[in-house]
Order: sequence, then structure tokens, then C-alpha cells
Amino acid sequence: MSTVNIAQQGEQAIARSRRSPLRAFEESRFFPLALLLPILFFFVALNVIPTIWMIGMSFYSYSLMSPAPPSFIAIDNYVKIYNDADLWSAFSRTFVFVVLAVGIETVLGVLLGFLFWGSSHMPGRRLALTLLFVPMVVTPVASGLFWRLIYEPTFGVANYFVQLLTGSKIDFLTNVNWAFGAVLFVDIWMWTPFMILMTLAALGSVPKAELEAAEVDRLSIWQRLWHVIWPHGKFILMLGVLLRTIDAYKTTDLVFLMTNGGPGNITELIGLKLYRYAFASLNIGFSSALAVILLLIAISFTSIYLWVLNLRRYREGA
Amino acid sequence: MQPTRARTAVYYLILWLVAIFFFLPVFWILMASFKTPNDILAVPPKFIFQPTLSNILDMLSRPNTVPYFINSLYLSITSVSLAIVVSFLAAYALSRYKFRATNFLMFLILSTRMVPAAAFVVPIFQMFNAFQWRNQFGVLMLYTMFSIPFSLWILKGFIDGVSTRYDETGFVNGASRLHVMFRVVLPQVRPGLIAAFIFNLIFVWNEFLLNFILGGPGTQMIPYALAVGLVSAGGNIDWAFVASLSTGYVLLPTVMIFLFQKYLLVGMTFGTVRGEV
Repeated sequence: MSTVNIAQQGEQAIARSRRSPLRAFEESRFFPLALLLPILFFFVALNVIPTIWMIGMSFYSYSLMSPAPPSFIAIDNYVKIYNDADLWSAFSRTFVFVVLAVGIETVLGVLLGFLFWGSSHMPGRRLALTLLFVPMVVTPVASGLFWRLIYEPTFGVANYFVQLLTGSKIDFLTNVNWAFGAVLFVDIWMWTPFMILMTLAALGSVPKAELEAAEVDRLSIWQRLWHVIWPHGKFILMLGVLLRTIDAYKTTDLVFLMTNGGPGNITELIGLKLYRYAFASLNIGFSSALAVILLLIAISFTSIYLWVLNLRRYREGA
Repeated sequence: MQPTRARTAVYYLILWLVAIFFFLPVFWILMASFKTPNDILAVPPKFIFQPTLSNILDMLSRPNTVPYFINSLYLSITSVSLAIVVSFLAAYALSRYKFRATNFLMFLILSTRMVPAAAFVVPIFQMFNAFQWRNQFGVLMLYTMFSIPFSLWILKGFIDGVSTRYDETGFVNGASRLHVMFRVVLPQVRPGLIAAFIFNLIFVWNEFLLNFILGGPGTQMIPYALAVGLVSAGGNIDWAFVASLSTGYVLLPTVMIFLFQKYLLVGMTFGTVRGEV
């Protein structure tokens, strides 16, 4: 068979396949929509509809505890939230928790991140980093339990050392003075490794050539930080801080398992508060209104996050 | 000044100590799973003890343990696989056809992952009750949705990185759109597929609140078992059981981040920051 023949056959095959209905569909303008259809199905069914439902419910007085049918009360739920001192204190508690947790994690993470910067030839680096990063991939349920065992007043290992040092024991999770700090400490333990990771990524985003130039020019360590590392590294560091902020503000599982909000309501963060309104008092209308507010907060954080992300793309072309 | 060997050794030693320090609390519970119940409750705490396998054997012999592990594995693997297929199709479309709403859609989908679970569990709970979806199917669908934002973000990022010239070369040579998608583009985004798979697997494996509220016997996973099954008949926490279940549970995420460490960064930032550490 000659080459001409094979070429002809090939062209015929291509022409035949171009006429097939599947091929026609692939080239029609409906094809991209068909590709998006599955994701839109999930998004609409499990996000858009529940969200609209939630916004709707937030304008109703509707509790599963009372036999009365839902009745429209316009913005009364929002007014109630505004006047609820208990909720305001949960919000401010969450705010303090987020600021302290993210602040301390960022400082520690940046310091340790710099410490780990020169570790690329460390023997067993992969294993060491695995040990370091385990706290952030363990579910908060499990880490809450680990720390309950450690904080345990009678046989917990933390109290063993506390007693060695001070002579008396502290019931960390039920003592009003210690519970908040004890939960905060666990969050710092879990998420400082994340800030180390982000610091390493930020340092990795500084071009090698600029670092070498700084070395040649004998810039001081502060000049290097300010003129070379910060202009490149700041974006990833900011993204890390924002992701942590979003995540810390969501904290629910950890306090649920460790203290269940107690003692009193010292560790009752807003996520847990919402959970209580929805599933302990079964107040659907009121908790929907609160959920709408939390949703708006989450959306504004996400917008800031994407704004920084785009800023980085624009400046660094990354 | 050139760092001497001794200085380097001290430096590495410090790094190792930092890493071990962060691992200690987990190590403590791993040790507890090999202690007898009396040793766990000993005062002062026992640092050296006679190891035993009886806790782990006891945990495995309880009727619910194996189903919990099976549920965890089944739900996470199935929902993540489904999410990746769905996200790949959408990521290709969003990357190659320029829709005007692309950025807005990406933003909306990402923001669904930033909401506290407690906020959208209320309407989901009502909806699932109304449709009688509080079964394996419903939870599977929910976890698929839960895994989609991250998969979409990471896959779109990777597909954007594959030059459209590959697509064009394919079309010129008579390839169909589907052929280009699956035979030309797909093999080049394999790192993205792996990262999306591993990290969504860990996220679903760790999920608790939705599972706790919506779950039934066919869907309860290990975090649920840890939270609910921890109280023994006497009203005290059954630490031997909790410790051995935690040991079994921690294994998967730990092995995953050891094996797939280079995807950790992309994994923990929902695909928005790429690079290696």
C-alpha cells in the first residue's frame, strides 16, 4: 500500500469522525455548558437552594420546639441578634480568640519558618517535617481528646509537670482562669506548623538571584529582610494569615470536644453558639438569621483573600 | 564565615527537637494505646511501661469499629473521586472557554468552603429530612460538594498552566475535544489530581460536625466514633479505647503527608498557592 493511500484513508477517517453526532456536539456551543452541568448541579442543589432557604427562614419565627406554624416577622430575628448581649459577647470572645491565636501563630510560625529555611540538606528532613506537620492534619476532634488526656487533673501529664514546678495542680479545662488559654494553646499547637509552612513558601518565593545579589552587596540582615525578602514574601504570608483567620473564626469542633463551651461560657465561640441555637434549642428562624450573618462575614474574608491573591498575580506574575 | 560541621550538626539537632516537640502530644496518645488501662491512669504518669496489644485487639473486636473504618474509607474515597471528575470537567471548561462570570463563580464556590459548617448545616439538615437524604447517598453528595471547591481551584490552576498550543496541535491533527481533554491535558495535570485527591481525602476523613448531625448508622465515621463512643459504661472516658482508635485513625493522614509532602503547600491553601517546601 502506498503512502498516498494511507494518507487518503487517514483523511477519510478524520472526515468520518468529524461528521459523527458526538463530534458535532463537542463542537457546538452547548458543549462547555455540558461540562459545567455536573458542578452546577452540586452547587445549586447543595449550596444555592439551602442558602436561599436559609435567608428565607431568617425572616420567620420558626422553632421546632413550639407547635406554632412559621410566621413571617420581617427583620425581627436580626433585631433580636442585635439586642442579644450573649451573642455580642460570643462574637467578642471569638474575636479575641482569632486575634490571639492568629497573632501568636504568625509570630512563632515566622520565627520557626526562618529557622527551617536552611534545612534543605538536613538528614531525615522528610520525616522531621512529617512530625512537624502532623498536628494540622489531625482532626480537631482527635486533638481535642489528646489534650483532654494531657490536661486531665489527676493523671494528666501536663499536671505532673505543673506539680513538679509549682507543687499544686491546675484543672485546666474547668478552671475559669485557665480554660480559654488552654484551648488557645491547643489551637496554637495545631496551627503554628501551618504558619511555618506558609513562611517557608514565602521565603521560597523570593528569587534566588536577588538573595545572591544581597549577599554580594553585603546587605545587613535587616536590609535583606526589608528590601529583598519582604517585597516578595509578603503576599504568601498575608494569604497564610487570612486563611488562618477564616479557619480560626470557624473553630467549633475543638471547643465542642474539649470544653463544650464551658466553664460557664468562657470558651463558647460563635460557631458553637450557632450550633447550640440550631440543635439544642431547635430555633430554626433565629439560627438561620445568625447563619446569614456568619455567611456574610465568611464571604467578606474570602473577598479579601482573593484580593490579595490577585494583587500577587498582578505584581509577581505568579 | 563558613559554618563548621559542628555548628551544622547543632542546627539540625535543634530543628529535629522542634519537630519532635510538635509531635509529642500525638506521641503521648500513641503510647497510651499500648498501655494497659491501669498504666494510662497511673499517677505519676508512666513514661516507661510494658507494651501491650490488648487495647488495639479490644478496639478491633468491638462490633462497630470495623464499620466505622469502612464508612470513613468508603465515603472519603468515593466522594473525593466523584468531586475530582466533576471538577476536572468544569475546570477545563472554565479554563478554555472564556465565560464572563468565571471569576465570580470561582469566588462563590471557594467562599462555600470558608463558611463555618454550623452555618449551613441548618438548611441542609431540613432539606435532608424533607428528601429523606439522611443516608449514605445524601452524605456522599454532601461530601462531594465539600470537596469540589478545592478540586476546582487546584485543577483550574493547573489547566491554566497547560498552554493552549497543546489543544490546538491536537485539533489540527484531527483529535476531538474529548480526546484533547483526556489524552492531552489530563496527563499533564497529574500533580494537581494527586494533590486534590490526597488533601480532600484528609479533609473528608477529618470531617466531624456534618457527620455528627446528618449521619446515620451507614455513614458514621471515625471522628464521630471518637466523639460519641468515648464514654464507657461507668461514665468515665474510656481512654484505652479512645487512644487505640486515635492511633488507627492518625495513621492515614500521617502516612499521606509523609508520602506526598511536596503537595502539602498546595493542599493546605486550597490550591491557591503553589510551590514546594
